[in-house]
This record gives sequence, structure tokens and C-alpha cells, in this order.
Amino acid sequence: MTKHIFTLIWNKKKKNFLLLLEIFFAFLILFGVFTFVISNLRNYITPLGFDTENVWLARMEVPQDVDSADFAQMRQLLRTELEAIPEVEQVSYTINITPFSNSAWQNGTDENGFDLNARIIQNDEYYEETGGLNIIEGRWFIKDDVHSKYKPVVISKMLRDLGWRGKPVIDSLFIFNYDDGPDNQVKIVGVVDHYKYMGEFTEEYNMIFIYEPTTSTNLDCMYIRVKDNASPTLEEQINKTIAAITKRNDFIIQTLESQRKRKSRQTWIPIGILLGIGSFLIINVALGLFGVLWYNINKRRPEIGLRRTLGATKSDIARQFIGEILMVAFFGIILAAFFTMQFPMMKLFDIENINYYYAMLISAGVIILLVLLCSFYPSRQAALINPAIALHED
Amino acid sequence: MIKLNNVNKIYKTKSVETLALNNINLNINEGEFLSIMGPSGCGKSTLLNIMGLIDEPSQGEVSISGYRIDDYTGKSVAKFRNEHLGFIFQSFHLINDLSVIDNVELPLLYRKVSSKMRRQLAEEALIKVGLKNRMKHFPSQLSGGQKQRVAIARAIVGKPNIILADEPTGNLDSAMGNEVMDILLGLNQEEKTTIVMVTHDELMAKKTNRLIRLFDGSQVQ
Ligand SMILES: Nc1ncnc2c1ncn2[C@@H]1O[C@H](COP(=O)(O)OP(=O)(O)OP(=O)(O)O)[C@@H](O)[C@H]1O
Ligand SMILES: [Mg+2]
Repeated sequence: MTKHIFTLIWNKKKKNFLLLLEIFFAFLILFGVFTFVISNLRNYITPLGFDTENVWLARMEVPQDVDSADFAQMRQLLRTELEAIPEVEQVSYTINITPFSNSAWQNGTDENGFDLNARIIQNDEYYEETGGLNIIEGRWFIKDDVHSKYKPVVISKMLRDLGWRGKPVIDSLFIFNYDDGPDNQVKIVGVVDHYKYMGEFTEEYNMIFIYEPTTSTNLDCMYIRVKDNASPTLEEQINKTIAAITKRNDFIIQTLESQRKRKSRQTWIPIGILLGIGSFLIINVALGLFGVLWYNINKRRPEIGLRRTLGATKSDIARQFIGEILMVAFFGIILAAFFTMQFPMMKLFDIENINYYYAMLISAGVIILLVLLCSFYPSRQAALINPAIALHED
Repeated sequence: MIKLNNVNKIYKTKSVETLALNNINLNINEGEFLSIMGPSGCGKSTLLNIMGLIDEPSQGEVSISGYRIDDYTGKSVAKFRNEHLGFIFQSFHLINDLSVIDNVELPLLYRKVSSKMRRQLAEEALIKVGLKNRMKHFPSQLSGGQKQRVAIARAIVGKPNIILADEPTGNLDSAMGNEVMDILLGLNQEEKTTIVMVTHDELMAKKTNRLIRLFDGSQVQ
């Protein structure tokens, strides 16, 4: 039967060409949509690695000409005063490379026997708790780290798996051209599970957190962890406290949660639009398929009558019509897949290959499902045609 | 071989009821070549369709080779048609998108026959109707007589013991009609195939064993 169906659609290749073309383009477009959606969603399902609920962010300018003793004192005071507010749980200082802000500091070296490329963030000893990080090995920074011979760092699991797979990682030294410590080496004190600070839809990246004490002028942002259900006046209160102590007004306070949502929207919206376009396309293809099938079946009533007369059962007829359109769809998919295979093979974009393969499988699945759904009813109708009447019509 | 007992056929449409067949009793013997004549609309095709199990009588019984038909929609009647009956139509009913040989293979598709075997049987059938050299042609490239010979090849490819032909020469000029008729006579004489043929042509009917006439759904001779 397969061979017969092939002969039939081959002999009618001109008529089937448009349908094949439709399937071909549908596959290409679905492939694009699904590649985008799947690669983003696959990033989305890995945890962020830090809290956004109840964490606020204050950005402050640090004047260049500041006296360091005064600055240190002011910093300590600001901490103490803010933490004295009942609804504030904890305060931590950080460099201004903050989550969802699109800024990044990146460094790389191959001096450790592997290609190390990482993003760097400087934090004080309080950030683990304020930010809600997950330490999976070792510890976060402590005050005494100031006296460490080597600069203490915490790395992400991804980096540990890259450089220290199957090896002890805590207290290891590695070369990282960051510090002027002995031989440019830094020391790993802990590992966190994830830190996708660029946003929920970004790929994970190797992270290196570097210790800076609270009093460091490098740290010009502040995380403020507040209690659940903070009152509306809290922001005002924090605002006043900061202004009073720093004697400046050029700072802004944001909640990380709103930043997360703002950033995620930048991906959710195109995902929504693309899925909308995809659905619209699918409906169009479905209508097209349905139309072609109805037309074919009506035009081929005498043929159906003949086949029934020659001994075809109803299910033979239904199977033939479904089979014909499935085979055309199959060739359309194969042809399109030949093109889409170039993406993983030529690595045109910075997208993991597996996303392309998933997108191809899902696109093919959607199209085949669509063909089956659209051909089910017309084919059943074809099977119900009365041979005596259909033969008479010719 | 074919037995019809008190067969009635009524077509009901919204406005009219047509009594297409009225109390037909018919007994066709194995190896017989029967022709059916009668004016247009008298029920010849209806009768043939009922004998071919593609239409159901409103009343009465049909039995073929001892097989009594109760269920016209099931798989067994399709299988029976496929194995025991061959059909030839006035308008040929070839599938234009299939080559001659593929058209001839058609009945074998609905049986368990390997594709190699199908090809071989179809070639043999085409040789019998003298069209071996037209195997790869398409129906649109053939004359009417050739088309009907292809249809005959298709009817005999499954080696049925009965052939039902509805005005097989109706669309052909007399030379081509005679060609087709000679093939049918040959099948009846050499292969002992039972043939029932509807015709408007007295000369053709005369060449057969027996003639019956219908008028307004009733058998008049
Ligand atoms: N499917 C149908 N529905 C309603 N009436 C039908 C149907 N098929 C046939 N008839 C009617 O039944 C009668 C017999 O038709 P049938 O086709 O058997 O005639 P026929 O003898 O073969 O005629 P012709 O020589 O023109 O082929 C006609 O009056 C026809 O109009
Ligand atoms: Mg007729």
C-alpha cells in the first residue's frame, strides 16, 4: 500500500507540490519559533540562584575624592542604622553589577590548564544571606577573609564542574588576573549552585564572586533584605536614612522582584508573539489541508467508488487518503529538515544544538498531528461514500 | 451460481419513490454468458449492482456461489467482491493518475499479494487483452477501446469466477466494440468465467448464451 500511495502522489506531483511547499514553509517557521521558545524555556527552568522577593537594591554614587576612614565609618553607620529599622532584616554591599542590570564584568585566562572564562562580582560577607544564595560546598566569605594571603573567591557549580570535576575544590588556588596577590592566585572558599544574574532566560555562566570588605569603595550598591509584607512607608524610611547618612540624594531604590519581572517580560513578550504567529500559521495550514482534502475527496468520488467495488474496505479508503497526505507532509518535512539541519551543523548562532533538535522534533510532531487531525474527518467521509452512487456520477 | 429471489429495489428521494427493480427472480448458472437488455432507466445497472454486491436490495435475497449476503457494509463482502467478482463499466473508470499497469494491479492491492506477484499477474492480464506494450502508458494516452481492454485486464487480474459488465461496448465504435466482445467471449469459453453483461446492442446480445429483458424494473423476457 505504501508503494501504491507513493506512486499515486508521485504521478500527481504537480498537484501535490503546493501542499508540499506549504508544509515545507510551515516547518521552517515552526522550527524558528520553537528554537527560540525552547532555548529560552530550557534556560528558564534552571533556578536563578538568588532571591528577588523582599530584596531591594539601592544604587549610590561613591565620590572619588572620599577620605577612606570617614567613608568606612559612614558605611558602618549606614548598615547599623538601616538594620535598626524593624522591617529591615539585613544589608549587604556589592559592586554595581547587579541582577537584571545588563552590566557584566568578564575575565578569562588559560593559565590553569583549562579555558577559564568567567563573570566577576564583588561582594561583602553578608551577601549570601541578604541575597539568598545556595552554598553547596565550603562557605561564603567571613570578616577574617580580609587577612587572607590569597584573595578569597566563591565560584559557581558550573565553573567547579569545568575546572575541578572529581577534584577537591575548597581551598584550591587558581590563577586569575584580578589581584596582585602572590602569583596572581585566588583561593576558592565556597561553591554556589547557580547565579543567573543576567536574567531568567539567559544561559548560565561561570561565576566568580570576589570578596571585598564592607568598607571597600568598590562596592557602591546595597542589597536590603526586608521582612515579608513590608509597609508602604518603608521605602520612604529607607530613603530618608540613606539621605541623612550619606548627605546625598543621587541614589535610587528598586525592588529586585520588579527588575526580574521587567527583564523577563523582554523575553515573554516575543515568546508570546512568536507562539501567536505560530498558532495563526497552524490554523492556516490546517484550513489549507482541510480544503485540499475535501476538494480531493469530492473530485475523486468515482475513484473511491471504484476502489470500494474492487474490494477496498472503508478503512482501506480512509487509510489511503490519510496516507497520501501524510506522505506528502513527510516529504515536506524531510526537505525542510535538510535545511534546518544546517543550523546545528554550521553553528550560525550561539544556541546549543540540542535546542535545534528539539525544535525539529516538535515541529515535525506538530505538523504530523495537524495532518492527522485535518485528514481524519474528510477521510472518514470518503470511506462512507456509497460505491453504487459514486460510480454512477462519472 | 448467482441466485436472486424476489428482489425489489426502491430508490427513495425527497419527492419521488422509484421502483427500480420489481420482483426479480433470476438464476444464473456457472459458465453462463447472460446479457441484459432494456430501455434506459429500466433498472439494468441497478440489477447489475445488486448482483455485484455494491448495492443492497430493498427486499429479497441474493446469493452468489452459495454465499448469502446479509451484511453489505462489512469487510467480508468487500473481500468477497475482491476475490469472486470482476467489474467492467461503460465509462471504463480507470484512474487517470495511474499508469496502465498500476490500474490493472488495483484489485490485488486489497489482497495479500507481494508487489512482485502483483506486477506479474497484471502483466499476464495485459497480455491476454493484447496491451503488453502499453503498460507504462497513462489512460489519457489510450483510445477508448484500449481503455476498455485495460478495464478488462483489471477485471480479470484477480481471476474472478464472475464478471459483471455494464455496457462495456457502449462508448465504443463497432470495431472496438467487437474487439472487446471477442475478449469477453474468449474468457467465457476458455476460462469458463460466468459473465453478466448489460448491453443496448442486439448483435452483441445475440452472441451470448441467454438474454433477458427488463422493462420498468420488471423482467419481461
Ligand atoms: N441512486 C439513485 N437514487 C435514486 N434513483 C436512482 C438511483 N440510481 C438509479 N435510480 C433510478 O432507478 C432507475 C433505474 O436506473 P438504472 O441506472 O438502473 O437504469 P439503467 O437501466 O441502467 O439505465 P441506462 O440504460 O440509462 O444506464 C432510474 O429511474 C433511475 O433514475
Ligand atoms: Mg445503466
